Amino acid sequence: MGEVIVITSGKGGVGKTTTTANIGTALALEGKSVVLVDADIGLRNLDVVMGLENRIVYDLVDLVEGVCRLKQAVIKDKRFDGLFLLPAAQTRDKNAVKPEQMVKLCKQLREQYDYVLIDCPAGIEQGFNNAVAGADKAIVVTVPEVSAVRDADRIIGLLASKDLYNPQLIVNRLRIDMVKRGDMMNIDDTIDILGIDLLGVVPDDERIIVSSNRGEPAVTQCDSLAGKAYRNIAKRIMGEDVPLLPLEAEETFMDKLLKIFNLNRKKSI
Amino acid sequence: MTGNSVVFKGTRKGLSIYIDHTADWASIKSAVLEKVVKGRPFFEGVFVNLTFTGKPLNEAEQQEIVALLEEHIQIGSAEFLGKPEEAAEAPHPADHFESFTGIEEGMTRFIRGTVRNGQRIFYEGNIVVIGDVNPGGEVIAGGNILVLGTLRGIAHAGATGNKDAVVAAYCLQPTQLRIAGMITRAPEGENQRPQYPEISYIKQDNLIIEPYLPGKAK
Repeated sequence: MGEVIVITSGKGGVGKTTTTANIGTALALEGKSVVLVDADIGLRNLDVVMGLENRIVYDLVDLVEGVCRLKQAVIKDKRFDGLFLLPAAQTRDKNAVKPEQMVKLCKQLREQYDYVLIDCPAGIEQGFNNAVAGADKAIVVTVPEVSAVRDADRIIGLLASKDLYNPQLIVNRLRIDMVKRGDMMNIDDTIDILGIDLLGVVPDDERIIVSSNRGEPAVTQCDSLAGKAYRNIAKRIMGEDVPLLPLEAEETFMDKLLKIFNLNRKKSI
Repeated sequence: MTGNSVVFKGTRKGLSIYIDHTADWASIKSAVLEKVVKGRPFFEGVFVNLTFTGKPLNEAEQQEIVALLEEHIQIGSAEFLGKPEEAAEAPHPADHFESFTGIEEGMTRFIRGTVRNGQRIFYEGNIVVIGDVNPGGEVIAGGNILVLGTLRGIAHAGATGNKDAVVAAYCLQPTQLRIAGMITRAPEGENQRPQYPEISYIKQDNLIIEPYLPGKAK
């Protein structure tokens, strides 16, 4: 019996799709069977980021409407053993699927795969309701920025109302240089407001843009720090205790000196 | 101003609407609209039972007034008890939303956990939040509000009219603070996190914030 995990955020553009693609690929690389489900009907992106868009014949809406069978809609990624994709429809919208249909679908998928990762669309309406309907657990993705954290807070409240308690947090696109300057929220401030367990921190990495464009998830690039972070997150999902990547540069003598005289400002949100 | 053509007497369960016998239909409707809009937060989330007294309304008017009210509040039931003038009771002197008086000893709701963005807690009495109130979260109480954590959202104490209600928190950093009819917000600029619990109340017509005990400011 597998686990159905929904990856959500509230705010758009914080990295849900990237996270889904990378965690999914990393889990497959660890030997698990994974199906990625794109629940963003009408604005599908997971297929592009995975480099599988020209293999789509049937999609999620076709499947729930009974136009095709599961085996026809699910695409096997030939590069990674055990990795599959169920793409969204592009010419329909989020009203084409109902939460009950998602519950039934997730039940089916849970029996066939170790992990079912659902890429949730941005927002709090029908798309969100559909994506969370069949989920066992939730991962909330945010960036360390005021508006994203506000939306993440809202989402956590909504998840609780759908009986998805204790979601785990991924802080994405952290820029340690900005945090040190006091221009970006640090992890502790983010957790202080959101109050949920931290699953992982992913640093801002140019490689992500390159890998999205190429359709090759960053976890496959050895020189990508973000890729490494995602691989660690996948291990933590599997139950391993992996320490957070050291993103801090070593404290310089100047930093220590400034600290003594309390001259390093810390921005409060 | 529509004067006293309509007088509301409200509790959360029931709203009694007294219609003046001399008022005309147009001014009755606009008075009702004005007052229900003003009292709306009081009725949020409840099914209100309406009782109309005073000037009797005909069936068309009854339907119209209920439809008008339905746009703003959820109606449980509507009773029309209006009687022609001869048995007129003395009109109520003024609108009267029952103001909560138990701010020193009175019913209190305890909330465990954080009030998140988009969540709204309303209670007629006092509210104690054992948790934080995040930005975008709202706590509205007829009485006092105590937050055993950080208050970063909106707190409205004395919401039904008690000006002596207070708002206190371990860390008072609200986006907006309201007591009875007064609203205030934090001064512009970088906010230093308060180092001690603070209490906010109305003193001589000003909404002030002080350390929870005098002499605690370092």
